[in-house]
Amino acid sequence: MVVFGTTFFNFDSFIGKTESTEIIGNPVFSHCYRDILPLMSGSGRFSLGDARRPLHETAVLVEDVVHTQLINLLQQAAEISQLRGARVISAEDLLFLMRKDKKKLRRLLKYMFIRDYKSKIIKGIDEDDLLEDKLTGSSNANKRQKFAQDFLNSVDQTGELLAMFEDDEIDEVKQERMERAERQTRIMDSAQYAEFCESRQLSFSKKASKFRDWLDCSSMEIKPNVVAMEILAYLAYETVAQLVDLALLVRQDMVTKAGDPFSHAISATFIQYHNSAESTAACGVEAHSDAIQPCHIREAVRRYGRKIGPLSPFTSAYRRNGTAFLAC
Amino acid sequence: MPSAPRRAPRPLALGSPQPPTAGPLPMDEETYLELYLDQCAVQDDLVPPRSPLFSPVVPYVYPPNPSNPETTFNSHLESKETSGDFSSVDLSFLPDEFTQENKEQAVIRSKHEIEENCETQSQQSRLPLPSGQDVGPGLDSSSLSSSRSHLHPGDANSIQSSPEKANSNPSPLASITPMTPMTPVSECSGIVPQLQNIVSTVNLACKLDLKKIALHAKNAEYNPKRFAAVIMRIREPRTTALIFSSGKMVCTGAKSEEQSRLAARKYARIVQKLGFPARFLDFKIQNMVGSCDVRFSIRLEGLVLTHQQFSSYEPELFPGLIYRMVKPRIVLLIFVSGKVVLTGAKERSEIYEAFENIYPILKGFRKA
Repeated sequence: MVVFGTTFFNFDSFIGKTESTEIIGNPVFSHCYRDILPLMSGSGRFSLGDARRPLHETAVLVEDVVHTQLINLLQQAAEISQLRGARVISAEDLLFLMRKDKKKLRRLLKYMFIRDYKSKIIKGIDEDDLLEDKLTGSSNANKRQKFAQDFLNSVDQTGELLAMFEDDEIDEVKQERMERAERQTRIMDSAQYAEFCESRQLSFSKKASKFRDWLDCSSMEIKPNVVAMEILAYLAYETVAQLVDLALLVRQDMVTKAGDPFSHAISATFIQYHNSAESTAACGVEAHSDAIQPCHIREAVRRYGRKIGPLSPFTSAYRRNGTAFLAC
Repeated sequence: MPSAPRRAPRPLALGSPQPPTAGPLPMDEETYLELYLDQCAVQDDLVPPRSPLFSPVVPYVYPPNPSNPETTFNSHLESKETSGDFSSVDLSFLPDEFTQENKEQAVIRSKHEIEENCETQSQQSRLPLPSGQDVGPGLDSSSLSSSRSHLHPGDANSIQSSPEKANSNPSPLASITPMTPMTPVSECSGIVPQLQNIVSTVNLACKLDLKKIALHAKNAEYNPKRFAAVIMRIREPRTTALIFSSGKMVCTGAKSEEQSRLAARKYARIVQKLGFPARFLDFKIQNMVGSCDVRFSIRLEGLVLTHQQFSSYEPELFPGLIYRMVKPRIVLLIFVSGKVVLTGAKERSEIYEAFENIYPILKGFRKA
């Protein structure tokens, strides 16, 4: 996570603002991505911390960002697998791309393990599943875990990556998200909570075929395999989550607090994107509205892409294409 | 047709053999529990709830005129207490027709387990039980540490309960009861998880010709290219078996231990009738799955935060929270609707115990 300015991040101001707002009814999506969009806009982001009825514009923007990032990611992965001489993009390429950011890599690995574990349990419960599994003859028990371990074994030169398997540190970002969710749900009544839970269950992996089409995989020469698609779906979800996290931070920053010694400097870190008076007003007033505005998203992406620190003009990092991936 | 060699029947050596002929016995599990809890409800009026740490041992006072079946019922409990672990007794010599009696004994035994669990459960629950409302993460550390102690009740509690048992002897009525509740047993959830699936294995101890079995047996599937075993199904009890050429067999789908055993014997008999010298060795239950409904919504986000080291909740992956209980070693799948699935048990008591352990925790995260 990038350090955002000097403001000390403080969740408390969010607590009072989680009532639902009547900003929008149900906008009609004339987008060609209308299947993915509802997933990401309404419910998906609600479950990640946005308001109950997120803005349509924000949804469109988020979708755009995620789409761009995933396409770039895919292209880089394709290049790497070409280097390897493989015919499909496999999970190894994606893991390789993520090697720079340990925390995110560890989160991804944990996700894969949990997936394995869950299939193991579900198999034990339903006898039909048990037979299915025996019949297919493959022991998928720890397929993903073994696979990841083998790969990291081969790539790891300094031993840091392998150390991640034993590492049991708390993932702070995940912790924050859990705490935020807990806070939000504590004050909900049961109907709202049911809705919240349903929205949390949305993911990109549920509609795998639509996801593939959305990513326009068919036009690529090298296609990702099944495990790689799972990982991509997870990365897409993570990107949305990251965006929401960062946008909330930005929104927090924009609120001027009494007694904050740097309040006069805040405007300097926040570049005004909008030209029309209407949206300026909207952003200015937004302090009391719940939903994340597109300006927050843009600002979040801008800050994320910027390198901070004394050596920033000299580091090239993974930004060959000029985009920093939110997910890795 | 060769019949299985009959071993000399042994007497029912299960501790003190009480003939299970008292009145209420043809009832099923739920009515047993209700009967028991009715007693507790009456008793509650007589004994105020006290914390086990501070109150003296309160003898279990029965209602003044217990009806006959109930006293017999409880005397069974006392005798069963000394009979040792049911599942460790080898009943392989028993013919299938014996299952009816076994079932009754199993039911009595499991009732006893529930009461014992209520016992230890209510003692434990004093420590971490949050009040009925929702608890925020502010109570994190305290509930975490107490939940850890709660879930590793281990020897501390059982040691604690045995000296208390000794103390309760003075009252003449206490000798009837096997336990010394410190708190009203209505703390116990009153919900009994139902078994949904039992997976067991048995060794038929002879090499089998799968092709022959598949050809001659009804309801048998065999596709050697896909999988190296015969899949056989019977309708009563409704189960499926995988029979391997080594003679080992896996039986799944039964709803109770007895049914699983009965089904396995039926499959063994089928194999026998086909001409193989099948025996019935090492019948072992490998996994038991139970499920139940706590009837209130559960706030899973709170649960995953306070019990992080045991639970994982990834709603985009699976809608339920996966809780890995350490003692007993059971995995629970907890859903928002209040349904709970318990799996990984080798014995019925583990499922009951696990549920009694989780119930107060779930109550603390009840979503009104």
